[in-house]
Amino acid sequence: MTITRSAAPARRPSGRRPTASRRPSGRRLAPYAFVLPFVVLFLAFGVYPLIYTFRLSFTSWSGSGPAQWVGWDNYTYLLGSDAFWSSLADSAVLWLLIVPAQVVIALIAAVLLNNAKLRMRGFYRTVALVPFVTPLVAMAQIWIVVFDADYGAVNRLLGAAGLPQLDWLTSTTWAKPTLALLFLWKTTGFAIVILLSGLQSIPASVYEAAELDGASRTRQLVSITVPLVRRVVLFLVVMQTLAVFQMFAEPYVVTGGGPYGSTTTAGLYLYEHLGRSDLGTGSANSFLLVALVMLISLLFVRLLRERD
Amino acid sequence: MRRASRPAIGSHVFLIVLTAAFLAPVVWAVLSSLKEPATIITDPLGVDPGSFTLGNYRAMFEDVPIGSGFLNTAIVLVLKGGLTLFFAPLAGFAFAKYRFAGQNVIFGAVLLTLMLPTIVLVVPLLLQMRELGWVNTYQALVLPGAVDAFAIFWMRQVIAAVPDELLDAARVDGCGEFRIYVSIVLPVIRPGLAGLAVLTVMNIYNDFVWPVVVTSQESMQTLQVVLATLAQNITGNRIGADFATVWGELLAASSIALIPLLVVFVLLQRHFINGILAGSVKG
Repeated sequence: MTITRSAAPARRPSGRRPTASRRPSGRRLAPYAFVLPFVVLFLAFGVYPLIYTFRLSFTSWSGSGPAQWVGWDNYTYLLGSDAFWSSLADSAVLWLLIVPAQVVIALIAAVLLNNAKLRMRGFYRTVALVPFVTPLVAMAQIWIVVFDADYGAVNRLLGAAGLPQLDWLTSTTWAKPTLALLFLWKTTGFAIVILLSGLQSIPASVYEAAELDGASRTRQLVSITVPLVRRVVLFLVVMQTLAVFQMFAEPYVVTGGGPYGSTTTAGLYLYEHLGRSDLGTGSANSFLLVALVMLISLLFVRLLRERD
Repeated sequence: MRRASRPAIGSHVFLIVLTAAFLAPVVWAVLSSLKEPATIITDPLGVDPGSFTLGNYRAMFEDVPIGSGFLNTAIVLVLKGGLTLFFAPLAGFAFAKYRFAGQNVIFGAVLLTLMLPTIVLVVPLLLQMRELGWVNTYQALVLPGAVDAFAIFWMRQVIAAVPDELLDAARVDGCGEFRIYVSIVLPVIRPGLAGLAVLTVMNIYNDFVWPVVVTSQESMQTLQVVLATLAQNITGNRIGADFATVWGELLAASSIALIPLLVVFVLLQRHFINGILAGSVKG
């Protein structure tokens, strides 16, 4: 790597600005050596496979033999295929089932936990993170057992309470909500901790001033708390949106994408091309998903900017 | 802290219900794994500590390659975790305390890696591993993503807070740059490193998407991959196994997989929460 002197000297965090001549060569070269491991892995396992796959997305290839150039065929095939759109639709439905519910539950819990006089705050916060540290695959297995229609604990509980028992995993109506419950169970504690940290960054003086002006507690919540934690809430929404659209392990383990493909999420659909050795289409699907994910991220970034 | 009033009874009810919901699946699974297989099905809600047995665990160890799963996960944890914990702060150090040509471009690469969804790289990486003949190898499990971009990003922030005077004093004493990293920076950022360690262990232990794609041989599969194919494994190894037996072993395996991380979490809670909150710095 060559050192170009034309590169504008960016702000030094240290404030000192030694010229290259004053700096000993060890100090000049050291940062390159320090970032080298990352750069090597980035080039080898990031850039190279991405370029390779980008080329592959314009071919028809089954993993062996010569690849055939097909132009935009893979992309037009996907964009015209029902399976692709229905995988996105499944993810969108899961998003609707998960994200609004999680934001509401986590916001309520975080506001309650932010009260210094609440007893057992530490305990509540610790327990909230238990689901977050459990291995998803183990929990997915437990979900299969707990939500079994015939012998599962949930249906037994519903039966005992005189409520109707449901085909949680085997009906197209309930399979998505059951997966949504797993996702909510697993990540809501994380959401609470993130929102709580946002609440705690609001200075107490803001509330004191509001109190002096005679603002009620509800009024304070609506006019102070919500606007000030909006950034944190949006951050949470972005993260969870990306996570839902990449959801893979939950449907892979719990439902295998069924029944009747009703839980074949965007992430699982992408993986299915691999099983069919349809690598050209799989590659094209990868890039369509990247485009979608970037689009969602940009949309939220814009939202953040506009309101500020 | 805001002037707080005594929380209403409704607050407690809400939080207790939520807490119960968070604990119920884990508690139920662990308790049920200790029951006789038949009663898991006939009486899923009953608990009788008098009849607890380790029978499900014994059968599970016979039928499922969970030992090799644990071993593979341990190997990947040590190698990949070691690489991340040493090289990510090193790169973070370079970004925080040096100015060098190309810095912004390289840091852009870090940010790009952060934004790229894992699942998108799965297909390209698998093809690459096939080309290299690395499918079902430790290097395939360890190397991609070994120097984690998020870890670099976070450590850059942590190290930026280390006073420059400390580093300059060491330079005056004739310390080389790498020596400064090892004997000044690393000890000073120990709390941040602990948070990173806990988060890294959790991510690697729970990682599933990449291991399931790149390991087809049972002997190379990590714990999570072994868990994912449990039902098939149990029925495959025990012909004619009934529903109850399979479930008993399934719950035993899932419970045993939960325990290591829960123990780490309870012991190192503070570092854990720091690690999770660092994630929100990204926003």
